[in-house]
Amino acid sequence: MLYGLIVFISYMLLGEFIAALFAWPVPGSVLGMLLLFITLVIRGGVSESVKQSSQHLLPYLPLFIVPASVGIVNYMDLIRLEGHLILLAMIVSLVIGIPVCGWLAQKSMGLSGSKGSSDV
Amino acid sequence: MFNWSTAVDAVWQSPYLGLFLTILSFQFGLWLFRMSAQKPFLHPVLVSVSSVVAVVLMTDLSFERYMESAHTISQFLGPVIVALAIPLYENLKALKQYWLPFLLSNVLGGLVTILVAVGIVHFSGASDVSVHSMWTKSITTAFALEIAPQIGGMASVAAAIIMFTGIFGALMAPTLFRICGITQAPAQGCALGVCAHAVGTAKALELGGEQGAFAALSMSFMGILCALTLPFLLAV
Repeated sequence: MLYGLIVFISYMLLGEFIAALFAWPVPGSVLGMLLLFITLVIRGGVSESVKQSSQHLLPYLPLFIVPASVGIVNYMDLIRLEGHLILLAMIVSLVIGIPVCGWLAQKSMGLSGSKGSSDV
Repeated sequence: MFNWSTAVDAVWQSPYLGLFLTILSFQFGLWLFRMSAQKPFLHPVLVSVSSVVAVVLMTDLSFERYMESAHTISQFLGPVIVALAIPLYENLKALKQYWLPFLLSNVLGGLVTILVAVGIVHFSGASDVSVHSMWTKSITTAFALEIAPQIGGMASVAAAIIMFTGIFGALMAPTLFRICGITQAPAQGCALGVCAHAVGTAKALELGGEQGAFAALSMSFMGILCALTLPFLLAV
């Protein structure tokens, strides 16, 4: 558990270091995730202890986003004034977005599927 | 003989109060979610946030004092985002055959759904905070909390938008799939991951393992793509 946590925090700090070094406005944690991902691809596998730590930590991810989300108490006026616009935008973009995303994938599946079989 | 008010005050003023409220309400949310056979509208995060918001609004516990205590929990967010690299790596094999549909659906489809939402709030004259927070609508909350401030949005407003987008998306997706004839597992997974992130991924897992893998991949990919592009495009 602790070994994995050390790995995750090291990569996060490395991400923050790189973001600051190049003055990129990118979250250090996301850069850290990319770097760990690249490491795993190069290594060709995940070590058992790191994998176990991730399995212990990841189920609690939703808990970790609660405190920042509670900050909405400071924006009650915004919700009252513009909540209906935000809701409308969400619903319309879902009604358009879900079919478009599904359709784009489904229509192009034949393309990469046939490419896969022609490799044989 | 007993000093009741001082004793109650000691608990109410304790630096552990916000931490305790967060974990307690989340555990309650988990329980409610399981009892309701996982109804999206009873998502543990929504139940937990609503409960704490109610306490902050109705008592003299200020958000600042709550956060001073609860921020310990928030600090785990960074390492957990890094840990997401592991499921991302393990789901990667699903992409071998379908990388092109995956990319098209994520990049083009993601662009469409984001631009429609941002366009509506922008042209209806909503405030900058709403417009900038809306840019994060297809990013999973963990990522969005870190990205929103860098593009002039508010983390908590973004979190609320993402929460409800996820819930509505998971509720609407099965009907939309039926009406529009979207039957292939990778297509359903991508649509849920891009448009409804974490709540959508849970829904996708209900539909099937392949849907779940594509939804999880899409959620991570959208998060990374947006984290690497939006701050440069919308620098404040």
